Formats: sequence, structure tokens, C-alpha cells
Amino acid sequence: MAFARESVADTSLSAVRTWKEGHPAGKAIGAFPVYVPTELIQAVGALPVWLFGAGGSIDISHADSRIQSFVCSISRSTLELGLTARLGTLDGFVFPSICDVARNLSGVWSRNFPETFVEFLHLPQNRDSASAVPYAIAEYRRLLNGLSRLTGRPASEADLRAAIESHNANRRAAQDLLAVRRETPWLLDAWESYLLLRAGATMDRDAHTQFLRNAVAAARRRGRKEKDRLRVVLLGAFCEQPPIDLIRAIEEAGCYVLEDDLLLGLRWFREPIPADGDPLRALAEAYVTQSPASSVSHYRGRRKQDDLPASIRAIGATGVVFCTAKFCEPALYDQVLYKERLEAAGIPYVHIEFEEKMSVFETVRTQVETFVESILFE
Amino acid sequence: MNVYVAGADIGSTTAKVVILDGEGKIAATSLGPTGASIVEAAQRRFKEAIEAAKIDEHEVEFVVGTGYGRFKIPFGHTQITEISCHAKGAHYLFPGTRTIVDIGGQDTKAIGADERGEVTDFCMNDKCAAGTGRFLDNAALAVGLSIDEIGPISLKAAKPLRITNVCTVFVESEIMSHMARGEKIEDVLRGVHNAIAIRSIALMRRVGITPEVTFTGGVSRNVGMVQALEGQLGTKVNVSPLSQYVGAIGAALYALERARGAPPTELVAEASG
Amino acid sequence: MTDGDAGKDLQRRLLSEYYGSLSDEGRNGRKVAYMFVPGNVVELTRCFDMLPVYPEINALQCGIKKMAGDLILRAENLGYSSDVCGYVKNDIGLMLSDRKSPFGVLPKPDLLVCNYSGCNTFVKWFEALAHFYDAELFVLDIPYLREREAAKEDVDYIVAQLEELATVCARISGVPFDRGRLRRTLELSMEAERLWVEALKTAQSHPSPYDAYFEAVFYMAPLNILRGTEGCVEYYRLLLEELRARQKERRGPVPEEKFRVVFEGPPPWPHFRSFWELFKRWGVCGVASTYSKVGGLFDQGILHDPAQPLESIARYAMNCYTNWNLGLRLDLLRRYVKEYEADAVVIHSTKSCRSFSVGQADFREVLVKNDGIPTLMVESDLADPRYYSEAQLKNRIDAFFESLSHRRLLGG
Repeated sequence: MAFARESVADTSLSAVRTWKEGHPAGKAIGAFPVYVPTELIQAVGALPVWLFGAGGSIDISHADSRIQSFVCSISRSTLELGLTARLGTLDGFVFPSICDVARNLSGVWSRNFPETFVEFLHLPQNRDSASAVPYAIAEYRRLLNGLSRLTGRPASEADLRAAIESHNANRRAAQDLLAVRRETPWLLDAWESYLLLRAGATMDRDAHTQFLRNAVAAARRRGRKEKDRLRVVLLGAFCEQPPIDLIRAIEEAGCYVLEDDLLLGLRWFREPIPADGDPLRALAEAYVTQSPASSVSHYRGRRKQDDLPASIRAIGATGVVFCTAKFCEPALYDQVLYKERLEAAGIPYVHIEFEEKMSVFETVRTQVETFVESILFE
Repeated sequence: MNVYVAGADIGSTTAKVVILDGEGKIAATSLGPTGASIVEAAQRRFKEAIEAAKIDEHEVEFVVGTGYGRFKIPFGHTQITEISCHAKGAHYLFPGTRTIVDIGGQDTKAIGADERGEVTDFCMNDKCAAGTGRFLDNAALAVGLSIDEIGPISLKAAKPLRITNVCTVFVESEIMSHMARGEKIEDVLRGVHNAIAIRSIALMRRVGITPEVTFTGGVSRNVGMVQALEGQLGTKVNVSPLSQYVGAIGAALYALERARGAPPTELVAEASG
Repeated sequence: MTDGDAGKDLQRRLLSEYYGSLSDEGRNGRKVAYMFVPGNVVELTRCFDMLPVYPEINALQCGIKKMAGDLILRAENLGYSSDVCGYVKNDIGLMLSDRKSPFGVLPKPDLLVCNYSGCNTFVKWFEALAHFYDAELFVLDIPYLREREAAKEDVDYIVAQLEELATVCARISGVPFDRGRLRRTLELSMEAERLWVEALKTAQSHPSPYDAYFEAVFYMAPLNILRGTEGCVEYYRLLLEELRARQKERRGPVPEEKFRVVFEGPPPWPHFRSFWELFKRWGVCGVASTYSKVGGLFDQGILHDPAQPLESIARYAMNCYTNWNLGLRLDLLRRYVKEYEADAVVIHSTKSCRSFSVGQADFREVLVKNDGIPTLMVESDLADPRYYSEAQLKNRIDAFFESLSHRRLLGG
């Protein structure tokens, strides 16, 4: 746990530097949330590094001269990290199509760091179309070619398959960890599983998988007792990351967070991606047909808000805690639709707005406590 | 016969008038609260300045009004924005100045100027109270001190705290939690001053920070703010005891140009009064 | 009839006919397709006799007619945050008011065609409308333009989706897909676009015969709302005639053209007239604008083409201003300054529209620090009347043009 905490708190990416020392020709590629097919990065022998913003650790001084201030803090703090030369150890950046801010951020990045590899990935939004898979394959090939040119190392089919299998194992380990929380929430706090997962942001995939397996075993051995707490699901389209203390405040206010969509990109697929056949096609098909409901991508087939009440019940939760980042458009629009469906289904919810740099949590605690009391003592 | 000109800077809180003689030397200054009536405030300050200069009203050949109330000055011949006036005024006091930061009660300006005191670029924060004097007012209120006390106290900080809230409304609760945790008041106040400095510097970066940097406006009298700015910038910052008059000085300099026959470059169609 | 009225009168008549066609009787059984302006596929939907409705245009009209404030509040009362786009809230407010617009009651959508070009918020917007109206939603995914030339896979993806969309339209309307009709409609679009490009170029004269920002946003309306019709072509013929006449007489929108400006960003619709006044006072004439290209970058050589029906629709859809990446957008701004011999750039940054606004500060950095082009950035909103502060805007605008005037006087 201590390792996870340190790893997450370290915005200087020292873990990446350490990896590079062990892999002399190795490149590290930054990936902006929410989902990037990091298998492609691994397949060219590079280390995928997730960019989760600077939290509250730095002051924004340079970013305002590039982008407006009425936008999510993660876009500004990430840019600030770049402009203050704190991301020098990264050799390239990939920005996926999640919203207008992130998309434009990729353009600002290119202009300000003209010598750096920057790629914007247009993930297909019309996943009902028969042409979505071919398009995704083309996008992935474009990204892969760019990465190959950067690293000087083409990715063979074998490389891609190995990367897929490595990621499958990592996703499986993550799901096992989260299953511990879902089934026996008293054994593992949400903030703990969050840190354990997020530690993988700067780690080699296989090393992280082992790390998670150890954590699962340790969690299962814990001698904690079950408490009388409200079982909830935490939803927030988390591109911007909540402070650890925010998650703790929610739990300490009387909740067991059975499931959440934190770090969804690290566990985007529930099922393993088949590693036989054409690997790019497998990745593309998985994206088009197996992606989870998310505020940053258009739903396929059924409207995601319609499925929400049933999925909350299936998880065994009694309520929902919405936690949206200030200024986050995708989350704020979905809010309204989710709330309507929950109200119609009689599922209670509470809505908290957060910023990655918040440091005072009294109001949050009070809000959630009131919410918990109103339900438990009904 | 002696020629005099005047600049009247009527802000939302204070009104300032500066009288220059024909050579551009300061003959008199006057400062007072604006209060409810812009017209009265302007007239009172003008009268006081004239008396202090020991001259007669009609010896003042040209008057330029600036500031929030610039369109309402009855004795003004024309009006020019305070951005242009601040650049001219800061240049008068510090000819080497190339970047000016004016932290007012309600807004903050960053101005780039050239060797002639001409505005090359500017950026304003007039939408958000964070980074303005208002932030300091709120902080002073939160700790129960006056606005004049908090600056000197902040200089004593041994362990400045980071204030992460940018919102003037929420910074109060952040300050209170620090105090409740037993943190020293000078450390908290230093944090507050630093937070404003950081925001002001972010604004200044948009016009580019080129030495010399001159700090103007009412907040520049706060030694804690000067320290915080110098600390964050890593360079010395020009401050003058006349810093509150910078706008009025600049306005008077424009008035001098016009008295010497220069054509208008501002909008003359605007009626005053 | 005095000069210029022929075009204006025709526009008024055509728009009145258009809104009339949206009424219950006017529709006469035809189906309604809601679409966005950038990358819209009206040529295709017209083939199925479907009537186009543009929620963005409804929103800006509500802004101009001072209705936006109330509508936005209604949406906020429903739960929409103060931090989301004012256009969307205006539209939700319209929905909650049974679509009573300044032009009559608007029909419900039979199909929501979300042409996702340059604005991700469009997807959230129509997901919401699909929810509230329980209407069928087709998301036409238009890839972001990262190089000046669209990649083959981008075009192929859009063309495949257009074929799928055509099938959906045929089902909903009951009208079979007639490719000949599509070609004829594209012919009309192309002709109107050609005339519009000629009209835009007249701003290269000194003085410019029209304001390429404040007047262009009205001149472009028929191209956005009525593209693919004969009335639209006729309008642009008249407009071009009028502008050529003004060019001959050296007549422009301000008594004396003192400053030629390139404008970036949408205008503040709820305060359109007073915003324009702040510039007119200084003898400012807009000679080029980027907002007038949200409906298509026709002046960059991208026209519809009946010889390549779906392909040209696909290319057009990718080449709308906000779908160009920031590098291409900045390059366009710089070219406009040169081609139209502008003295300065004014960026109107809007809180609602992240697509336009995020990165404009970076444009300013480059224009001022690298290119030495005087650039003013002002902020308000395109839809929400509350974010407009006249005193502050006037201050900034006056300071900017004061310093330009003063420097001209000093010779540099």
C-alpha cells in the first residue's frame, strides 16, 4: 500500500525514469484518459504511462496563457506539467477523443511541443455502423505506424498478441481485485483499490499484474469485520481524478462503494480480447462491441441511462453517488438523464462536484452523511 | 504664462487627481474615496489638487479622465482607458519598465509597454475575484485583521502554507481549517499572498514577463504582496509611493500631449458628463 | 427599392416560407430531421422530402430575440449545470416550452441526425433529445481533420455511414433513395457555395463593402438553412451583385474604415447589436471571420460536387471550421490577416463553446509574440445573456484600439 501511495503521489515520473534505466532504448508514451489501446504502445516495446493530472500538487501559472480557465482542472494541470518541463521523460503523447477540451488540448500540445510525437485518436462514435470496425482498425494502424516510427521498432503480430495477452492478464487481475471489494467490501476500501490500480499508471504491465495478484491475496487474508454501511455505486466519468481523501470521505461518511468507474481505462474490457487471429482486428472489434457505458463515448444499441437502474440493482447497491469534476461537460450532461431514470426507478442518489486539487472535504462528508442517514433510517 | 494639465482617475473605490506643469513635473496630487457620486468625488479631488498646486482652475488647459468613472467627469475634455494611462504613468515613474501589473480592488491587469510607454499588449482579469484585492479583503476578514495589518504579518512567515482554493468565497473555509489545525497566522497569510501572486503572474505570462516589472494599484502598498511577487518572479519589482497615482499621472501625460497640439487618438465622439 | 433590399427581402421571404413549412399544415406529412450546421447532410435528407431543423440556429435566434435567458433557466431548473453549453440549455428550454420559438411552434424530430463534426457536445445534445423525445438517433461520426487532406479511411468511414443513413431516411420517410435527385440537389449547393465564395472575397477591397463578421453571420444564414434549394442560389446571386455595386461606390458598413479586423469566435447573440457598436465606434470593419465558416470552409476550395456525391458530402463534413485541428485553424487566421490585409485580430472567447475557445489563448500567444499581429481577446458567451459585461468589454476594446491609434500616430 505504501508503495502504491508513493507511486501515485510522485508527479516527477521517477518510476518511468527507473524503467528507462532498465530498458536503455525504451520509450515512454503518455496516454491521456479515458481509454487508449495501450496494447499498441506495449507492442512497439514502449512503456504506456497514464496521465492523470497533477492533482493539487502544482499551481497553474503557464497554462492560462494557452487555454481558457473555465475548463476541467486536469486539462490545465496536465498542460502545466508539460509547460514546466516535468514530463520530459515522456517521448510521446496520445490523446483519445473523449471531449472537446481534450481534443483541443492535443492541438495545443502539438503547437507547444513541436518536436514531440503527439497523436489524437479518433475512436469511433458510431459503433452501430458496419464501418466502425474497419475505421477503428485504420485508426489503430495509423497510431501503431506512428509509434513504430518513433521507437524505430515495428510491431509484429506476435508482439501485438503478446501485448494483448499481457493486458488481458492485467485487466483480469484488476477485476479480481474489484471483485473482492464488490463481494466483501469490508476487506478492501475503495480508496485502497484505487491506489493499487492507479499505481499501474507508471508500471510495466506484467509487474503491475503481479502486484495486483499479491494485493488480492493479501486483501482476502484480512481479518476485518463487516460494518453496517450503505452500499453504493460511485459514478463520475473520471478523466479528472478525485483526491484520495475525497474517496475516503465518502466511505467514512458511511458507504461501501461496491463499484465505481474510476480508472475505467485500465479495465475497459470485462472479457479477455482474443489473442488469436488478426490482433488489430481483435482490438478494434473489442472496442466497438465490448466497450462499457461511459460518458465519453456514445452508446451502442441501448441508451446507457436506460440500463442504469437494472445494473445498480444487479450489483446489489442501494444508492448512487455521482461525483463529477467541475466543468466536465460529458459527465454533467449525462447526470440529468441518469437522474431521471434513477428517480423513476426509486433509486436514491447524491451529487458531489469535485476538483482534483480540492483539499477541504467537510462539505462532502456532510452531504454524504445526510444521504446515508436518509436512506438507512427510512 | 504657466500651462498646467490634469489627469483624473476615478475608480470604483478611490478617486485620484494629478496636476502636471508644462514641463511634465508633478505640481499636486489628491486622493479620496469615490463614494456614491462619481461627479462629486471628481470635483472634490480636482478642487483639492488645484488648491494644493496654488493655481487657478482656468490655468488647467486640458483634463483627461480615466478609470471606471471616466465618462462622468464634468470638467474632463476627453477620456482614455486606464490601461493606456497606467502604461504611460508607470513609464513616467520607471522609464525602464516593460511589464506592469496592476492589482486593484476588483480586477487585475497585466500590461506590456515599450520604451515610449506605449501599450504593446494587455490582459485583464475582470471576471473572477481571485487574484484581486478582494481576495485579500476576504482573507483579512476571515482572520479578523485589517487589510493594512495582514501584509506586514505575512512577512514573518517561516513555513508558508499553500492555499489551493482559487475561489474567493471558498478560501475562507480553507483559511479557517488551517487556523483550526493550529497553523500560524503569518504562514496562512503568506500563503494567501502567494496565491494572489501566482494568479497575477499567470495573467502576466499572457503578455510576457519582461523586466523591469512595475507593480501599481492600491494593493502595491501591501509589503506582503510585493514580497510574494518578487519571491515568485525571482526578480525585483518596482514600487513607488506614487503607485496609486499611476493612472492619473498617465492621464495627465496624455493631457499634456493634447495641450501641446497632438491630435486625438481616442474616441472623441463620446460626450462627457 | 433602395440598394441591398432585393437580397434582404428575398432572404426574409425564403426564411418565412421555411418556417411556414415547419408548421403542422405546412409540413403536409413530411418528416422532420434535426441536424447540426457543421457537416450537415441536408442534400441527402432533402432527397427524402425531410424538412431540416437546426437547433443551433433556433438557439441563436432565441438569443437575438432576447428569449434565451428564460429558456436557459428552465433547463437549469431541470438540472443542467451552469457550466454546460448555453445552446444546449436553450434547446432543452425550448423542449420544455413545447418548442414555442420566435418563429412559431417547431415540430418534434422524426429523426435526430447527429452530424458530429467539430463538437463533441453535439453528441451529448442529441443523446438528451433522443431521451426526452424518445426519438430515433443516428450519430454520423465525422473524424477530426488532422491533416489538410482528409485520409482515405476517414472518407470511406463517412461514406459508409451515409449509405446507412440513407437507408434509415428511406424507412422513416417512405421515400425511396433517388441518387439522381441527390446529384441535382448537390448541383444547387455547389452553385450557391461558388457565389458565396465570390461574395466573401469582396472584403479584400479597401474599404470592404460589408462587415465579414457582423454582417456575414446573416449573409450565411441561407447557406446554412436553405442549402440545396433554388431560392438559396438566387439569394447569393443578388448578394454578390449588391456587394459588387458597393465595391464600385467604395461604400462600406462604417462611415470611415479605420481598422480592418479578422474576427475569431462566435458572436454574443443576446447582445449582438451592442457588441457591434463597441467596434463600429472605432471605425472597425470585419474583413474576415472564422465563425462564418462553421457551416463549411467553402473559401478553402471545399465545395459539394455532384460528380462525387457521397464523397464530396464526406469531405465537406470534415472541412467545417471547428473540425479543423488547431494547427490548421491558426494557419487560417494568419492567412486571413494577409489575404484581407487586416490590422488586427479580435478573438471573442465564449464560455459555452469549448470547441472554439480552448486553445484561443494559444492562438493569441503565437499571433502576438511570434507574428507581431496585434490581437485582442475578449470574453463573454454566445448564448447566455448573463455573461456579458458591457463596461468591461468596452474597456478592453477601447484600450486596444486606443493603443493602435496612438501607435499609428507615432508612426509604428
